[in-house]
Amino acid sequence: MVVGDISTGTEVLVIGAGPGGYVAAIRAAQKGLDTTLVEKDAYGGACLNRGCIPSKALITASGLAHEAGTAEEMGIHADPAVDLTRMIEWKQGVVDRLTGGVEKLCKANGVNLVEGTASFVDDHTVRVAHGGDGRGSESIEFEHAIVATGSRPVEIPGFSFAEDHVWSSEAALAAESVPDRLVVVGGGYIGMELATVYAKLGAEVTVVEMLEDVLDPYEDDVKRVVRKRAEDLGIEFHFGEGASGWSEAGDGGHLVHTETEDGEKSSYPADRVLVAVGREPVTGGVDLEKAGIETDDRGFIETDDRTRSAVEHVHAVGDVAGEPMLAHAASKEGIVAAETIAGEPAALDQQAIPAAVFTDPEIGTVGMTGADAEEAGFDVAVGEMPFRASGRALTTGHTDGFVRIVADADEGFVLGAQIVGPEASELIAEVGLAIELGATLEDVAATVHTHPTLSEAVMEAAENAQGQAIHTLNR
Amino acid sequence: MTIEEFRLPDVGEGVAEGELVSWLVAPGDRVEEDQPVAEVETDKALVEVPSSYDGIVEELFVEEGDVVPVGDVLISFRVDEAGEESADTGSADGEPTDAGSVGAGSADAEPTSVEAEPDTSSGRTFAPPSVRRLARELGVDLGAVEGSGSGGRVSERDVREHADSGDSGDSGADEADAPAPKPVDVGSGDRKSAVSKRGSVEETDATTMAESGAGPDPADRERTLATPATRKLARELGVDVDEVPTDETREGEAFVDEERVRAYVETVEAGTSPELDASPEPDATVTGGVESEPAPADPSVDAPTSTAATVSTDADDAAADVAPDTVAAGDEADAPGETIPYRGVRRTIGQRMEESKFTAPHVTHHDTAEVDALVAARDRLKPKAAEEGVSLTYLPFVMKAVLAGLREYPILNSELREENEEIVLKDEYHFGVAVATDAGLMVPVVEDVDEKGLFELAAEVTDLAARARDRSLTPAELRGGTFTLTNFGAIGGEYATPIINYPETAILGLGAIERRPVVRERSAIDDEFFGDDEEGYEVVPAPTLPLSLSIDHRVVDGAVAARFANTVMDHLEDPLLLLNE
Repeated sequence: MVVGDISTGTEVLVIGAGPGGYVAAIRAAQKGLDTTLVEKDAYGGACLNRGCIPSKALITASGLAHEAGTAEEMGIHADPAVDLTRMIEWKQGVVDRLTGGVEKLCKANGVNLVEGTASFVDDHTVRVAHGGDGRGSESIEFEHAIVATGSRPVEIPGFSFAEDHVWSSEAALAAESVPDRLVVVGGGYIGMELATVYAKLGAEVTVVEMLEDVLDPYEDDVKRVVRKRAEDLGIEFHFGEGASGWSEAGDGGHLVHTETEDGEKSSYPADRVLVAVGREPVTGGVDLEKAGIETDDRGFIETDDRTRSAVEHVHAVGDVAGEPMLAHAASKEGIVAAETIAGEPAALDQQAIPAAVFTDPEIGTVGMTGADAEEAGFDVAVGEMPFRASGRALTTGHTDGFVRIVADADEGFVLGAQIVGPEASELIAEVGLAIELGATLEDVAATVHTHPTLSEAVMEAAENAQGQAIHTLNR
Repeated sequence: MTIEEFRLPDVGEGVAEGELVSWLVAPGDRVEEDQPVAEVETDKALVEVPSSYDGIVEELFVEEGDVVPVGDVLISFRVDEAGEESADTGSADGEPTDAGSVGAGSADAEPTSVEAEPDTSSGRTFAPPSVRRLARELGVDLGAVEGSGSGGRVSERDVREHADSGDSGDSGADEADAPAPKPVDVGSGDRKSAVSKRGSVEETDATTMAESGAGPDPADRERTLATPATRKLARELGVDVDEVPTDETREGEAFVDEERVRAYVETVEAGTSPELDASPEPDATVTGGVESEPAPADPSVDAPTSTAATVSTDADDAAADVAPDTVAAGDEADAPGETIPYRGVRRTIGQRMEESKFTAPHVTHHDTAEVDALVAARDRLKPKAAEEGVSLTYLPFVMKAVLAGLREYPILNSELREENEEIVLKDEYHFGVAVATDAGLMVPVVEDVDEKGLFELAAEVTDLAARARDRSLTPAELRGGTFTLTNFGAIGGEYATPIINYPETAILGLGAIERRPVVRERSAIDDEFFGDDEEGYEVVPAPTLPLSLSIDHRVVDGAVAARFANTVMDHLEDPLLLLNE
């Protein structure tokens, strides 16, 4: 009977359906390649299910609640009641809609979807174990593979995510109630975003950070704006302290113990501890070594500018291929991987990858800082525009922060920007475009921007860098 | 004028090799880019392989019937400059290319391999992404381009001019040296670099090649006009008039007369082509109006993407009809009887049958269900289904009855994994449904039978069967079955001994539902005459469904098979029970 289980082969095998993997799979299918996408968990990866999207949903919702309750200055008196269960349900609805969309897109583009956990058998074969007992497994032979297995939150000694009161970022995005007291271990962007969410939802938040400030590696004046606002929200910071463990407290809560480099110990009461100290690549169980692929000492797969690993027909994209661990970088890498496999001259030759932090206020950066540019040998021109001089910023009630634009002083080419302030994540896109197109300060300044908008600040900063700003004093 | 080799591109579905069923061109033919040059049959599909070049066919390296690994040279072309340019444009546009259509290089716009390309990610040249990509395509080192924009910003024109100047990224190339075109190895592994430059090729006599071809290329029309006398002659000579080449038409239809039939027979016997130019596509040269173009000229076939999905039904027909006939005609002189190639789908079926029958000890259990109630139920539901656009057959009922049986006897929904010393009971109900196609048996899978209604199952079976016939099933749709049904009764017959769709454990064959004699108790009224003894039985005609259940006796014993069959029959004889499934 029987041409049953014929196809055990595929041209392109993609492992992991996150923003690197699903984009790669769709593009490969668009290029006419027979493409199989293996996902063990949920379409959309960490970004859609446990990261970017759910966190942005909660940031928006908690921000709305907070704003409504703190707008007396505008004559609004309200005391919003937050139903966290409903808020989480709404967030989940957003996530489900997007992940469902990803699955549909893959199917509509002719990508073969296989659910299960893939591990390499050799450099042309994977075995896919289907979830659950008795679901069996299958072998898939491939010509080209794209490893897009992503990353997961790092656990630190003494804080197991298996404990109910120890949250990973993932657990913090699915909480059942707002803890009275939240200790956040790690003042990086994930820790700061979630600390802000819970502070706005009424938790007493303490951030413990080993370094001397939040948000490494941003510039000091950028950090300061965010930290100050966080402090205004009631978040307490303890720098130079590493979390060493926890113990039960008498009141039914817990105590988080920290230690400085000098051995000075402190304890902070907590009902929940959020550990957000970074993310590590997911390579366990993938048996990369059977395909002949080695990882570096942090577990990342090293790739070239065409996303190829040391084994040329096996590509790696996204978090598993190392920094920058950003969804949009992963997607770009996925496209380059697919097009490279399709025989096209694709390459990761972008001049800059923007990054955004959704704290209050937001941070948006792209390209070089002034220091970077100097180090690269440029004669640097810098222009700034504080949001307190922006009419539109004043009308939103959010005037913290600034736009800074960095350029090459000789020819005026835009090299980078740092924006901290309202909608910084959106504003940064304009500067990214300017950098990629090789636009100059004059190009940006001479482009008419809509009034009254926040984007005028970008234009003003470019003017400022040329010493001819209208609304700020030139320096 | 250069000689370009063309390799068997990756024809999709992860296949590593294909069998060259027929050549669509012969040496000396002029071929345009994207024109199909050969038909290649893989395990799953018959695909046309389009040319990447404009040029003259130089040499065919493979004979019809050969198995060709992906990446092997199939054919070489004499390519002129214009042809090269066109190939270049094709890839520069970023069109989806089949693996083989990456442009060949020309002397003035020299694509270099990426290995030779300067590092694109370092250095700071101000140029937009579109220009960067163009530079990569043309193999130009952006850093070496003098930008004409303010501050040295590089534009698209700067890159093109730089490329034309010959001072490309592969610096050091002396212009007087007339740099040889390099293969565009875009770095995705050798299988993809289907094009490579051949240093020197001795010219082969095109005429010789043409004459050594495998005889006449029959036309393959669907309709041909001919007089009754001509048709009679054709029958007597064993010729299908649809195969006889002609350039005559009557009222827009191809017309064949006795003379052409005789000429065709002569050329077949002589083993040479009736057309001096050996054109394999008779209709391509014929004056307009011929209705049935052969597949190669079918404009609906999207040539560059050689996937199963784009193969039209026409192509299938062409395969089914042309290939065997050609062989038969060519070999008639020295082979006894008719030879049919054992290749492609046919051989895959054969191998699978062999594996199943020689691995699993088969036992076939036969029984017959009396299906009066089932017939009534289906008759009642059929109009309702038709309202929803569904053609309701008995198969969905049988699927549900089998589901009931498998729930009670899950051992029949299992897979033996000898190497692990375990039998895996599946918790999903994915039923393969055997479909007879022109190419051979295909078994698409209906997933999650337990979660679907009768109409849903009916619609899905109809769809899968249709797509099995035109070979547009995706690999996923042929995978993952846990139990198989074969409805040979649709053609006729009562009992069979189906071969299990290995590694499944059981298969159920369905005979034709027909009225057959069955023994039944007499009704109560009759009992008054005959009493309550053996005389109280009678033979009556009733619709019956003969069942043939084959099992892997390593996994299942006959008693269990019989009990399973009883459960299935209970549900078929009293379809109300199916409400529970």
